[in-house]
Order: sequence, then C-alpha cells, then structure tokens
Amino acid sequence: MSKEEGKALRYSIFFSIILIVVIAVSLQLIRIQLLEWKRYRNKANENSIKEIPVVAPRGVMFDSNFKLLVSNKPSFNLEIVPAYFDTSNFKFLDSISSLGNDFKNEILKLRRTYSRFKPVIVKRDLPFETVSAIKEFSEKLPGVRINFVSKRDYSFGVNGAHIFGYLQEITAKELKSTRGNYTGGDLVGASGIEKYYEKYLKGVKGKKLVVVDAKQRYIRDFKNGKFDVPPEKGNDLLLTIDKITQEVAEQAMAGKKGAVVALNPKTGEIIAMVSAPTFSLDKLSIASPKEWREIVFNKSKPLYNRATMSAYPPGSTIKPLEALAGLETNNITASTKIICKGGLQYGDRFFGCDHVHGKVNLIKSIEESCNTYYYLLFLKMGFSPWLNYTRRFGFGRKTHIDIWEEKRGLLPDSVYYNKRYGKHHWNTGLLLSLSIGQGELLVTPLQLAKYTALIANDGRTFVPHLVKGYLDSETNSFHPFNFDAVKISVDQRKLDLVKKGMFEVVNGEGTAVNIKDSQIPIAGKTGTAQNPHGDNHAVFIAYAPADNPKIAVAVVVENAGYGSTHAAPIAHKVIRTFLRNELK
Amino acid sequence: MKIEYRLTDRFDYLLFAAVVLLIGIGLTAIYSASNNMNNNTFDRQFIFALVSIIVFFIIYFTHSKIIRLLSIPTYLLSIFLLFIVLVSGHTVYGAKSWINLGPVGFQPSELGKVGMIMMLAYWLSKKNVKLDNLKDLGIALTIGLFPVLLILGQPDMGTAIVYVLVILALLFWAGIDLFGLFVILSPTVIVFLSFFGTFTAFIGFITLLVLLFYFKKDIFLSLTIFIINLASIFLFDIGVKLLRPHQQKRILTFLNPMSDPYGSGYNTIQARTAVGSGGLFGKGFLHGSQTQLSFIPEQWTDFIFSVIGEEFGFIGTFVVVILFSIVFYRLLRMALMQKDFFDSLITIGILTTLFVHFFINIGMNIGLAPVIGIPLPFLSYGGTALLVNVSMIAMVMSFYKDNKEHT
Repeated sequence: MSKEEGKALRYSIFFSIILIVVIAVSLQLIRIQLLEWKRYRNKANENSIKEIPVVAPRGVMFDSNFKLLVSNKPSFNLEIVPAYFDTSNFKFLDSISSLGNDFKNEILKLRRTYSRFKPVIVKRDLPFETVSAIKEFSEKLPGVRINFVSKRDYSFGVNGAHIFGYLQEITAKELKSTRGNYTGGDLVGASGIEKYYEKYLKGVKGKKLVVVDAKQRYIRDFKNGKFDVPPEKGNDLLLTIDKITQEVAEQAMAGKKGAVVALNPKTGEIIAMVSAPTFSLDKLSIASPKEWREIVFNKSKPLYNRATMSAYPPGSTIKPLEALAGLETNNITASTKIICKGGLQYGDRFFGCDHVHGKVNLIKSIEESCNTYYYLLFLKMGFSPWLNYTRRFGFGRKTHIDIWEEKRGLLPDSVYYNKRYGKHHWNTGLLLSLSIGQGELLVTPLQLAKYTALIANDGRTFVPHLVKGYLDSETNSFHPFNFDAVKISVDQRKLDLVKKGMFEVVNGEGTAVNIKDSQIPIAGKTGTAQNPHGDNHAVFIAYAPADNPKIAVAVVVENAGYGSTHAAPIAHKVIRTFLRNELK
Repeated sequence: MKIEYRLTDRFDYLLFAAVVLLIGIGLTAIYSASNNMNNNTFDRQFIFALVSIIVFFIIYFTHSKIIRLLSIPTYLLSIFLLFIVLVSGHTVYGAKSWINLGPVGFQPSELGKVGMIMMLAYWLSKKNVKLDNLKDLGIALTIGLFPVLLILGQPDMGTAIVYVLVILALLFWAGIDLFGLFVILSPTVIVFLSFFGTFTAFIGFITLLVLLFYFKKDIFLSLTIFIINLASIFLFDIGVKLLRPHQQKRILTFLNPMSDPYGSGYNTIQARTAVGSGGLFGKGFLHGSQTQLSFIPEQWTDFIFSVIGEEFGFIGTFVVVILFSIVFYRLLRMALMQKDFFDSLITIGILTTLFVHFFINIGMNIGLAPVIGIPLPFLSYGGTALLVNVSMIAMVMSFYKDNKEHT
C-alpha cells in the first residue's frame, strides 16, 4: 500500500464515519420531528411536569431571653399566569377579591410580552373565604391559582419596625446581581435585620413537582410528591433586644418624635432601640401600592430610622466629654474654679448661661450644667483637643451597627470650616457654641448611647449590635457573631471625676433630680438642644447602676423642650424596666 | 518570495458562511432560552460573538509559520492553566474548570484542546518520528494524555472523552499501523468486555492471546502488552470509583432514561420532547412552551439544540445539521489538500474536536448519546468555547491560504 493510497483510505474512513453520524442524526430527527411529532406535541401540551419552587420559611427572631419577636404564619397568594388567563373573568375575580384597575392593566400588558407564561403574584395574604371561593370555581378560572406561602408574623406585642426591617419583592436589578439564588416575586429583606442578615434568614428553596395541563392548570402531584424537595427553613436569629424593655420604650415614645437607644455598655448589645413615629410591618406587608406611597411619603417620615440616621445637636450632653478632655490635657483640675455671672462676653457677642452659678468647679459644672465653665474651658483648651476627644468617642463616624441604615452625623473639623467659611475666615468666637453642644456638631442617638457606654464602662465597649448570633436550622447549634471591641484609653481617676459629676446630676442638686431613684443609682446628663427649625429638642443620656453600669441609654425627643422634663423620665422608665429584677 | 494577502485568496467562503450562520442561529436560540430569566446571557454571548469575528481575522491574516511556532508555547500555557484551575479554579456543576478573570470566567480545558492538537501535530509531523517505534508512540501518547489526566482531575468526563477521541484520530491520520492501533485499543476493548462479566472478559483475553500470536512480535513485547491489558481492568475499576455518583448515574440512565424520569433522565426526556414537539415548522420564535416555561434548567448551554428543535422544527434542526456537514466536509477536504503534514494533522484534530462535540451534544438532545455535558460548537452559550472554536477555524483557513507558497 503506497503512502498516497493510505492517505486516501484514511480519508474515506473519516468521510464514512462523518456520513454515518450525520445520517443517523438526520434519521433520528426525521423520526421524532416528522413521524412521532404528535406524540411529543401532546406530551408537551397536555402532560407536563412543572417544577414549582417552594419558598423556605424565613428564620424567626428571638429576643435575648428566647421570647419570640418575629415569626411566620401561613398565608395564601393569588397568582395569575397572564398567557392562560381568560380576561372575561376579571369581573368575577373582582367581585370576590377587590383587585382594582392597576392589576388589570398590568395583566393585559403582560399578556403581550414574552413573560406571559410566568405567574404573577396579584394579591398577597388572601382572606380564607376568598381562597375557598376561588378554589370552588377553579375549573372556570384558567391561569388563576392560589399559592400557599409562609408570611411574617409580627403579632408578639413588639413593633420593632426599624429593628426588624421590612420585606420587599426582589427588584430586577437585585435579581441580576444575585445569580439564580432568587426568582422573580421572591421576598427579600429590604431594611433592618431582615436585610443585613438576609443570607442567614432566607433558607434554601425547595421544589414541588406537579403535573400540569397545557394551560398550566394543576392536575396532580407528580408521583405523589416522591421527587419533591422540601425547603430548608432559614436560620433563627437570637437578638440582643430585651422584649419587655423594648415594649416599654415604644410605649414611652408613642405620639412623640425622636429616638431611644439603650445598650449594654459591657458588650455593646442593644437592649432597646425605638424610632418614633413608627409604622406597622404587618400593614406594610400587605399594603397596596397606594397605601405604600402614603407610608413612604408621610411628612413625619415613619420609615426613617431616627435612632441611627437622624443627626441632632447633642446640647449639654457633650459636657462630660469636654470635662474629661480638659482634665486629660491638664487645662483644668478637679479644683479649678470659675465664677459664672450668667454668661460670657466674647468679642461683640454674649454667650449666655441659664443661671448665675457663682463659683463653679468641675463636678458642679456637670451637675448644674454651667455653660460659662465650658466657654472658658474651650477658650483655654482650644479647638483641637475638643475635636480630638469628640472623635475618640466616635462622633462623626458610623458605629457599624448591624443594620445598613446608619448615618455619620457631622463632626466639623478645620477642613469643614475652611470649606464653609473660607480659610482664615473663622475663629474661636465662631466655634464657641460647640462647647455647649450647639453649632455644627450633629450626632445620632446611637452615637450618643455608644458615648455614654464608653463613659459608663471606663473607655471599653463593643460595636453596638442587635443580633447575638444564629441558631443553625440543621444542627440546632448556636453560632455567636463576633463584634469588634471599641477601646479608648483614659485616666481612670479623671474619668471617675466626670462620672461623679454625672451621678450628682441625678442624685445631688443637679438638673435631673426629678428622676432620682431610691432603688437604682442612676448617673446622667441632660441636654436641651436648640434647633433652627422649631422648639428645642430634649436630650438625655444616662447609665445605671452608677457603680456597676448594666445599661446605657440615650433619649432624644424632638421639639419637646427641656431634657430633664421630657427626655429623662423616658430614660428612667427604660432603666427601671431593664433592671426590674434588681429592684429591692 | 513575497506574498500579497488578499481576503479573496483561497478564502473558503462556504466554510466561513456556515460558521457565521451557526453563530447567528445560536444567538437567536440563546435569546429565546434566556428570555424569561432576567439575566444578561444573551448580551454577553453577543459581545463574545463580535470579539470572535475580530479574532478570526487576526488569526486568519497571521502567517501559518507564526502559528506553527506557537505550538509548544500554547501547549505549555494550557498545561499551566489546567494546573492552576485544579489548584484554585472555582466549581461549576460539580467540576472545577473555571478561572476567574475579573468579570469573565475562563475555561482552560477549551484552550487545552488547541494546545494538545498543536503539540501532538508538531510531534507527529517531525521527520524522524515513526509510530511503529514504541518510544515515539509513547511520547505521542504522553503529550496527548497528560492534559487528559488534569481534566479528569477537575473532574470533567465529557471533555476528557473528546480529548481521547481526538488523540486517536490524530494517531490514525498520522498513519499508525494495525499493530499500534491494536496496542492502544486492546485495553479499552478488554475493559468494555469485563463490564459484562467474567465470561466475556475471558473471551476477550483468549482473543488477545490469539492476536498476539498473529502479530508474531517477540515474547517480551507480547508479554508486556498482555500485562498492560490485565492491569487496565483494575485501573478501570479504580477509575469508576473516581467518577462522581451523578456521572455514574448518567451512564446508567442513558441505557434507560425512564428509570429516573426526574433525575438524570429528566433533561433527556424534556429535551427530546421539546425537539419532537417542534414538528416540521416548529412552534415559532419565543413560542416554544417547553423552552419558555424553562423545563430544562440552563437550556442555553448544553441543551440549546432543543430550543432550535422546538421553536424552528425540523427545518431548523436540519439546517443546523447541513451547516455542520458543510463545516466537516470542507475541513476534511482541507486536511487532504494541506501540503504540509503539520497543517493536515491540525486540520484533522480540529475536525475531530468539532465533530465529537456535534455528535455527543446533538445525540444527547435527541436521545442518541448519554447526557455528557459538552456544548454544541458555535451555538451553545459560553465565551471561551466560542472564541476557541472560531480561532480553530481561522487557523485552518490561514494554513489553507498560505498553502499558495508551496504550489
């Protein structure tokens, strides 16, 4: 066999193999597409197995004592497959479950698009009578189906709307970025813990296999559910919240505007967090688009989490920090005294004080909240130690609490003033009001609470957080989350002086003696923050028991007036509730 | 001699047009399959298609001598990347076969095909390499099977099968004699026979002994071959245990898809139903209920053919088969006509790669082959595969163009 012959032979063999395969493929195509196509067409049309994703129940939320805060309950959704829906049934559907025109137009629009085979959720949480009515007439309602789902249950007495957060249908944009873990119509956490801990709460979808006819109507379960995959429930979360304290704080803030944040100074665990006014998570979950808009665009901004996002002037609550800064930078000592004549003339401006305090030392300056003392201290100490200490106590930056809704507030530094007034166009006179917590400095209630915790626990705490850890739904074991420690180094003797001042505020002759408690020694500081938009905000920070702090609280009540009369009693209630087991 | 290249010089319009049409049909089907999915599958593939066409012309206008010089580097690079993917690649569908390059994933086993073909062609076309020399044959097998080992490690059975068939085709085209073919194939046959029981295995070994006598090689060589055959049975046993359960199951369900209608057999049944229900004319673009209701998950990858079958019917599928036949026929003709043996071998390697993909993929869509997850060239979603497939066509056409030199 010559070389050329060999090549020709191999060519023929290749040619034959290709030819045989092409003929085999063609014959098979002729068989199934031209000879047996009717059988396959029927199979595709009449007897199809459809995979229906089964949404997993979300993990539930417990308070720190394993009392339920948020759970799940069964609910029914009305779904329509636009392609198979008979439009003459609109009237009938409307009569048993008022759906409105919005949805009709939506279905009609979808019928013309390529998504017409995909079921659309038309109404969530149907009442039972509607469900049975639709089931009864299901024969006459092609493309209409009832889907059994698990829905959030908020009926445990706690509102907690800003803590727990709400759920929302996944947006097209999120759907693109999450790659296959979700499908359209899925509910995902849109705020609060629901959003931050979405991956722990959501669980794993299951699937149910059903035999459906050409119009997607359910015929029967496929093989009695033998191949169904049950969903895996999401992991439960153990929160740091104390349910009873949270309830009391919510009641205390009812009808007011503002926020309460209470945390454990030793651990950073948030005991209670309230933002008022609030909204009902349950109502929001079944709200129509119109009701949604009413909540979202409400003037009092109920969706806004004031505890972590609203920035207020701290007023006199900033004074303990300044006293500490003065002591640590050796600008003052415990015995430094000034004379308060009811204010201070600086340049062409008069900076006022509430009273003529006479001789004032450090303790008294905190106890009676003497402004003059702090004007003079600020003038002696200067801007940069003030800035240094406010920064060290965490103002002007996020605490990194475990929800995404958080703002930084505003800590003005020289860069800020240069930008605002121009270089060299600002001076100490302009800054002097900072010394009494007015002016540009703006803080969130959460930052105030963290600052109080740092004082209470001698400069050590942890990043404030709402969740302790999760309970693995498979193994039932508890997995704690770790949060970073927050530490600032302070001279203990100097800090003790400041703490003594705060103790006297409540227990001496100070500004908050109205909440003096014979059972629990409380230390605190009042603040009354002027604001250009209306009446003064009442501010109060406190911790208790003063000798072994277990709770640190910050309260802000907008446009209420004096901190001592409007904010301190709320803090008092919160403290008494949390320490209820220690009352003698 | 200075050569002016013009596009019209020996440019195989028929081949080029067939490939472009296949890519177009693929894009249409991907659009339909991913239509309800809210993802950017189509957009990505469209961009890859445009890039592929540009790459085609770059490679086409590159002189074949330069391409030849790239054989060893391409091979070494692909081996290196296959190593990387084993160590650090990320897992898709239970196999590690991807490297992340920013937003784009890259599949080294696709590049590896070209590398292996080029390297093997380089070795087999060397003047002093003779395939009846066991050492030369051994080196050839090492070149070919080394990447196969790495791919089996991922583990990606489908791609490994393609490699093995391509190696066989190259050796065959290089003129391996009957004895060589016997040495390579006998272990496979023995393993296959042992699959059916001791008796058939016994028959296999008797036949082996008879053939060894027939070839009349020296006793030492014959004994070695016999021992290799014996060892292969045990090696196969270990190999099967290495297979993932889902792969073992797939081979079993090929034999009887109804045995597991909602497990591995599900895709086959749904794909065949989709193709069959298309009939002669199909249900129309975006009107296939099987496709639009997403009965087959990720239909735009390995089951793209079923989309064409359902929505464009027999006319659609037959056009695809005809276009592929044109590609195969033109490539086979070129393999015969390439003057340089290296060029000819490359052409055969590429032809075999495309052909094996064609047969296994369409076969599993219409029930002629087991569900082995390999894509349909030019049509399935997948950027690396498209780029590599188009580059392979460009290479062959570049060789064909430069053949002018020799005539």
